[in-house]
Amino acid sequence: MNLPIPIEGPYTEIAYEYDGTLEGLLTAIFKAYQYREHPTDVVASANLQPRLGQSVRSIETDFHLAERVARGICTTCGAKTFAFVRNAALVDSPEAGTNVYRFVRFAMKTGPVAMHNIANPLVQPLERANTFVRNESERVRQFVRFHELEGGIYFGTISPKANVVPLVMAWFAARFNTQPFIIYDEAHGLAGVYEGPAAQTGTTNVWGNKSWYLVPVDARSDLNIPPEVPREQAMQQAWKAFYQATTISVRYHPELRQHFMPQRFWKDLVELHPSLPTSAHSGITPVRSNAGMKLSSSA
Amino acid sequence: MDLTQKLEILADAAKYDVACTSSGAQRQAELGKLGSASCAGCCHSFTPDGRCISLLKVLLTNACVYDCAYCVNRCSNDVPRAAFTPQELAELTIGFYRRNYIEGLFLSSGVIKSPDYTTELMIKALSLLRNEYGFRGYIHAKGVPGTSPALIDQLGRLVDRLSVNMELPSQESLQLLAPGKTRQNILAPMKQIQESIAADAETNALMRRKNHYLTHVAVPKKQRAFAPAGQSTQMIIGATPENDYQILTLSASLYSQLQLKRVFFSAYIPATTNPLLPQGANVQLNREHRLYQADWLLRFYEFNANEIIDTAHPYLDLDLDPKANWAINNLDSFPVEVNTAPYEMLLRVPGIGVVGAKKICKARKHRALCEQELRKIGVAFKRARYFITCNGKYQGTGARFEPGSIRARLAAPIDGGKHGRRAGNVCFGQMSLFDQEQPTALPGGPEAAAAFALQEQAKAKRGLLAEKASA
Repeated sequence: MNLPIPIEGPYTEIAYEYDGTLEGLLTAIFKAYQYREHPTDVVASANLQPRLGQSVRSIETDFHLAERVARGICTTCGAKTFAFVRNAALVDSPEAGTNVYRFVRFAMKTGPVAMHNIANPLVQPLERANTFVRNESERVRQFVRFHELEGGIYFGTISPKANVVPLVMAWFAARFNTQPFIIYDEAHGLAGVYEGPAAQTGTTNVWGNKSWYLVPVDARSDLNIPPEVPREQAMQQAWKAFYQATTISVRYHPELRQHFMPQRFWKDLVELHPSLPTSAHSGITPVRSNAGMKLSSSA
Repeated sequence: MDLTQKLEILADAAKYDVACTSSGAQRQAELGKLGSASCAGCCHSFTPDGRCISLLKVLLTNACVYDCAYCVNRCSNDVPRAAFTPQELAELTIGFYRRNYIEGLFLSSGVIKSPDYTTELMIKALSLLRNEYGFRGYIHAKGVPGTSPALIDQLGRLVDRLSVNMELPSQESLQLLAPGKTRQNILAPMKQIQESIAADAETNALMRRKNHYLTHVAVPKKQRAFAPAGQSTQMIIGATPENDYQILTLSASLYSQLQLKRVFFSAYIPATTNPLLPQGANVQLNREHRLYQADWLLRFYEFNANEIIDTAHPYLDLDLDPKANWAINNLDSFPVEVNTAPYEMLLRVPGIGVVGAKKICKARKHRALCEQELRKIGVAFKRARYFITCNGKYQGTGARFEPGSIRARLAAPIDGGKHGRRAGNVCFGQMSLFDQEQPTALPGGPEAAAAFALQEQAKAKRGLLAEKASA
């Protein structure tokens, strides 16, 4: 039996610190049950800001324990509740861990109906987080723009506000099963990789799929992106021309466009990059400024 | 002419077609083939006018033998003409699709030689895409009025959605503006499409039925389903004198009798200088918006057309949405108790939509709902409060429970008019300590009021500047 590591001071206020992954969070939940503690906060170490007089317990991620918690939630509350918990853990907000922890405590007592009690203050934050994650996944499906690279690889960059690449990879891998592709999530430093129909990785990953896998990426330069194929520029020009041609100027309503297509995605959207007249400008990348998109040679 | 130029011309010619939905068909991906279709559809981009781009919307050619007054592609109009070869179109579609720019193809065409010849060209292009390239994405095709039934049948088996444009809401308007088309040759293909879809569904049901105790063997399908995402149509609003009552009853009958999936409305934009057409710069966008709201009530809120509109008031109220309007005219059905009211009744409360009503039904099994819970669930409580009680307590505050009072609350511009389309925004004067006495009655309706408010605001600003300068 593992005994809790003794912590200095009064144990009234305690925070759990985990590494920010889903497995880390599940391990933290396991430890809270094991030590019979009720942490006020369960936070990713990046967001940790202890309250006054609060002790902090660092939780080391243990895949075995995380799996036990996942299985426990599935047997007591059903697979749907586990998906509910998993999606809520993908949100970037600092409260995500605490909310999930409190809900799991509640759900393990209440059973499968817990997640339907959406007016309950313990369930409501997770319900919101789930809606947010669903919307963000949809935006990734909408706004990823692939660039064809040499070697027949399709590469797309996107920066969503939740770590949703694992949720959308299956959809992309099914639709684009004829082409190897990479979706690089710049905000979370994660790349989803599908190597094409021939390559099967052989192992089933946490997301229950073996046709694609996730790679942590620290910086864009680590990716060694090969150059674009020559016809890529022609395709992008054609797409921009189409985008310009479908606009009806008398109905001009930029606020509505911004509502559906938030500006935070614009830097990766081909059709919103200004057209470059010649290849002499190829070193210039569009950057965002207060006035909208503009060209800059600094990047 | 290179491909990009062709694309520009043919996309520009197709842009007034409203339908750009990729919804209604569910097709799983298949290993070794490109593409899939999801029931909810997906919009991949949005133009500066806020309309979505989900399909590559182009004409096969913009050459046309007809001379419809409202259309930019009419034969008497002097515009550059172009045409895609089937190969070009397929390559372009696949290229865009692989880059996740689009959800599929929307193919329409001007009429060359005859409707049959045009449809044959479309079939050729689409079968290349479906059969040679193995494309499993979404395809929407336009049926050309006057095409022979055999060709419509072929076309329907290649696409997900077929649509035939009504163009104008009445026979007289058609005769006046589109002399080449008649109501009969528009409705005939629509009927055929509806019958084919129904026959297809029946065959499928028969094939799936298990009527013996032996192991069931699924019979492989001989041919593709006929337009699995159904059919849609569109009509132009504001070019001809039909009122909203006629338009809505027509679309309601299209939904009930021809089982259409969507009826699209397109506010008439003066693109031509024909004396038969209105030439003002005023595009009836607000009217189009209200018609769509009414259309949503028909399709998702279980309303009948005659509840929304009647002959006595043949136009929809521009200040108030049709649902709120119905609720105010039927205040005897309100207030409803959110904790006990049936789902159908919750749907009729302004501020509670389909998602909100479902969430309320889900949440109230566990606890009684009050203002705080409703706000957290995501109901527009600000609007709903005048029509509901929570645990028997009426939630409306600051308004009497009578039509005039509630109407004033709901029709007030949100956030002082900062929301919505910029052309429709009203700029009211900001409250200020330096405001002079207000006139008791404003002359000449809302325009005059807005102008007056602007003047007041300018005056207040000048006053402030003068003060700053003196200090």
